[in-house]
Amino acid sequence: MIDILRLSLPITVWLAGFSAVYALQGLSCSRHWPADLDARQVLLAAYAVAIVLQLIALLAVLYAPSKARFVQTTATVLAATALGAAVWTLMPVLATSVCL
Amino acid sequence: MTLPSPASQPRGKALRLHLALARIWASDQRIRGWFTSSNNNDIGSLFLIVATSFFVIGGILAMLIRAQLATPDSAFMEPQVYNQIFTMHGTVMMFLFAIPFFEAMSMLLLPGMLGTRDMAFPRLGAYGLWVYIFGGSAVIIAMLMGLAPDGGWFMYPPLSSAAFSPGIGADVWLLGITSIEVSAIATAIEVIVTVLRYRAAGMSLSRMPIFAWYILVVSVMILTAFPPMILGSLLLEVERALNWPFFQVENGGDPLLWQHLFWLFGHPEVYIIFLPAAGMIATILPVMARTNLLGYGWVVAAAVSLAVLSFGLWVHHMFTTGIPHMGLAFFSAASTLVAVPTSVMIFSWIGTLWKGRARMGLPMLWIMGFFATFVIGGLTGVMLAVVPFNWQVHDTHFVVAHLHYVLIGGYVFPMIAAIYYFMPLLTGRTRFFKLGEVAFWLVVPSFHITFLSVHMAGLLGQRRRTWTYDADQGWTALNLVASIASFVMAIGFALTILDVAVNAFVAVRGRRNPWGAGTLEWAGAIPSPAYGFASIPIVQGRYPLHDDPDLALHIARGEGYLGDASRIRRETLIVSTARGEPLQVVVLPGNSVLPFLLAVVTSTSFLAPLFDAYIVAGLALVAVVALALVWAWGLGGRVDEGHVDAGHGAMLPLASECRDPPGWWGSVFLLLADGVHFGSLLFGYAFLWTVAPNWPPHSYLQPQLWAVIVALTGALALTAGPRLAVRAIAKGGTAWPAITLGIVGSLALAIAAASVMLDRPGPARHAYDATLWLLAGHVGLHTILSAIMLCYLAARVAAGYASPARIGEAGIVKLWADFTVATGLVALAAAWLPGAFA
Ligand code: HEM
Ligand SMILES: [Cu+2]
Repeated sequence: MIDILRLSLPITVWLAGFSAVYALQGLSCSRHWPADLDARQVLLAAYAVAIVLQLIALLAVLYAPSKARFVQTTATVLAATALGAAVWTLMPVLATSVCL
Repeated sequence: MTLPSPASQPRGKALRLHLALARIWASDQRIRGWFTSSNNNDIGSLFLIVATSFFVIGGILAMLIRAQLATPDSAFMEPQVYNQIFTMHGTVMMFLFAIPFFEAMSMLLLPGMLGTRDMAFPRLGAYGLWVYIFGGSAVIIAMLMGLAPDGGWFMYPPLSSAAFSPGIGADVWLLGITSIEVSAIATAIEVIVTVLRYRAAGMSLSRMPIFAWYILVVSVMILTAFPPMILGSLLLEVERALNWPFFQVENGGDPLLWQHLFWLFGHPEVYIIFLPAAGMIATILPVMARTNLLGYGWVVAAAVSLAVLSFGLWVHHMFTTGIPHMGLAFFSAASTLVAVPTSVMIFSWIGTLWKGRARMGLPMLWIMGFFATFVIGGLTGVMLAVVPFNWQVHDTHFVVAHLHYVLIGGYVFPMIAAIYYFMPLLTGRTRFFKLGEVAFWLVVPSFHITFLSVHMAGLLGQRRRTWTYDADQGWTALNLVASIASFVMAIGFALTILDVAVNAFVAVRGRRNPWGAGTLEWAGAIPSPAYGFASIPIVQGRYPLHDDPDLALHIARGEGYLGDASRIRRETLIVSTARGEPLQVVVLPGNSVLPFLLAVVTSTSFLAPLFDAYIVAGLALVAVVALALVWAWGLGGRVDEGHVDAGHGAMLPLASECRDPPGWWGSVFLLLADGVHFGSLLFGYAFLWTVAPNWPPHSYLQPQLWAVIVALTGALALTAGPRLAVRAIAKGGTAWPAITLGIVGSLALAIAAASVMLDRPGPARHAYDATLWLLAGHVGLHTILSAIMLCYLAARVAAGYASPARIGEAGIVKLWADFTVATGLVALAAAWLPGAFA
């Protein structure tokens, strides 16, 4: 069961982070957002957090390896993919307009 | 007197074992056997035949579409009819053909590939089959009666809401499709537990056949993708029937909520369809190339990441809804990213071909057709992921062409390859009549002529879902070419089906493993007997038949595990999830008419509301519960058997005497789907709260102190009760006080949920009130379920079905109770918190 988690967790973290940042962006454009809060700064912070979480997931896979070699390599590849995915898919935070 | 020769003695043993097992596993040979069999060969074959029939129906509808579009200003169909036809074409192909077809293939093939004797829950498989047959037939019958849905296969409100789609067409869609999704979830759970637990001895995760990986991933996707859609259908149906305004802007709803829920399902859906086909290619291609799959681990990683990434793409179907640029850019980026794992797979296959010595043959031919087509479909997909381009071609025939390139090229072609490849295994016959090659050369070129023209017409501006066009719009020639070629393609598909049918029934008997494959499905007799394997194989690598060419013989002689039929019941092996060590012996149920009956009442409960027969629906629901209890009651035993001899000196416990029987695993995954469903409800609530125009509602619900206290106490009792019950049973003590505590707890939670409804009568007033009722309804439903399960547990204990060893059932009840408590508290908090802080 732990092996299944090794394989599935890092990339699931990507999905959670991606959805959370998207939700945050939606929230920042809604009537609930405080007017004096800079949405871009918050989104950038969230982007950074998402990447850090992904790094932690990758390190966890590397430093608590599975006994099965196959699981270990596959889990590492998946965790690295998840890191790359977080960097790439949330990159719009850097450039595009927030609510237009 | 002559002594038997040494060689004939084992053969005699194999024959005796074969006869004994065949008797134990046989389905009823009379007509009623059709309704009582739960054997994976029978269920899978029926599934396959029904799914193929729906492909034919969907194909006929496609021909009607193309006939209408062949000429400008065609009078062949009225627009009202055309709307029904394309809606039904899309719906039938996606829900009634594509998903059931690969489910059928997995039922037929998985036990063989994994080295086990049947699927994990044979009766659940039969149930899924019958629900699918009833739900699918209902949808088709409605169409023949002219009552088909006509809002397109994604049924956007407000078009599909009561105001603009009066009549029952949309309800047919919502209820019929939901029942089919129930069937798909049942099958998915069965597949997951089978792959994780029912394998050959020694088959660790890394030794699993690649198809098992793919189908495992796909099944988890079904459990996480279908619930949002089921929730969406529920919301829309409740809005249509009771006017709860989830999608009505003026009352606090938002039609975009439907689009989110639908595409949260709909995008993963296309990968749910593609990945099984990819699994087939990864299975077939290496064998045809006489080598092994290149980069097995990479392919597994690609499949997993593709699956997860596909859940982050849904908004790319909503690029034209006015979502802010940053949101669009997220989903554009994610959409381009999926090309990476897809390419990993494609390169692995190309590399495999490179490495091996490919032989042609019909399966290979269809795989070549796949390559030529799918790559183009993938590229037009990347084009569509680019937002400005998408804005230009949204809702044109360019999209139609793209989706057919991926669906037909990426799914239908590989599946035909799979049918031909596995034909010797499934029918015991080797293809003899060579109609299939002709069919191939009819289908593939005409497919490209059809849909390249459709691409062009789309680029020139022809919109999808419009019943006709004018001669001066410049699309006439393209459409005529597309239509003529599509008729040729249809003839090709018809010939393919004919070829398969003829060969399946009258071709010559073939020999075992004609392709020289290395995986276990080829190690049994062909066609595969009902019991699958005479003994459970022991494997040391990914390609056991290559490691040991005599493996088939060893298995037949009973030299694996459980190679002894003397206990006269359907036994198979359960192994540890990761490493495949033998852990338990499970006894599978025999033939039974229960799945069929349960499917009848389930389908009645879904379909009766179409005719406003709510009382019938209610009665059917009661019957569902009653039959489910009868079903469960038949499992397990009243005495501890202790460990049984599984062969090779292994003494293993029965699964029913373990803490984690298959039913526990099944519950975990069903609860995963349930949890996603609940999560989708919370998402819908948050979505409306954030963006729906007519929010906030006039007032928020004010929590009442007594209700909060009742809820918390109830939660505490429902958490403690089942725990204490498990402990009592484990110690051989009395369990009923603890069980009673649990029941009281679930009732208390139910009262707290009811208070929400009582405080806010009138769910039709505002989407907020309607959402409160659904949250409370979720709690109510689960507390009732928990109470029923606890009562059932008490009865089981009283009847002697529980003991310190036979404790699995109590564990399952505990699992459900925990889920009820956790989601119940979250639901009540979500209902109460806004009012507490407002
Ligand atoms: C047999 C050859 C097929 C032909 C000639 C064909 C033709 C068409 C055409 C022309 C449309 C567009 C109708 C319109 O928008 O006005 C369409 C829609 C569609 N087709 Fe097919 N199709 C075929 C097979 C399939 C298959 C195998 C699948 C799925 C596995 C499929 C899934 C769909 C879907 C989902 C739609 C969208 C329906 C909607 O707009 O609501 N088709 N098809
Ligand atoms: Cu999509």
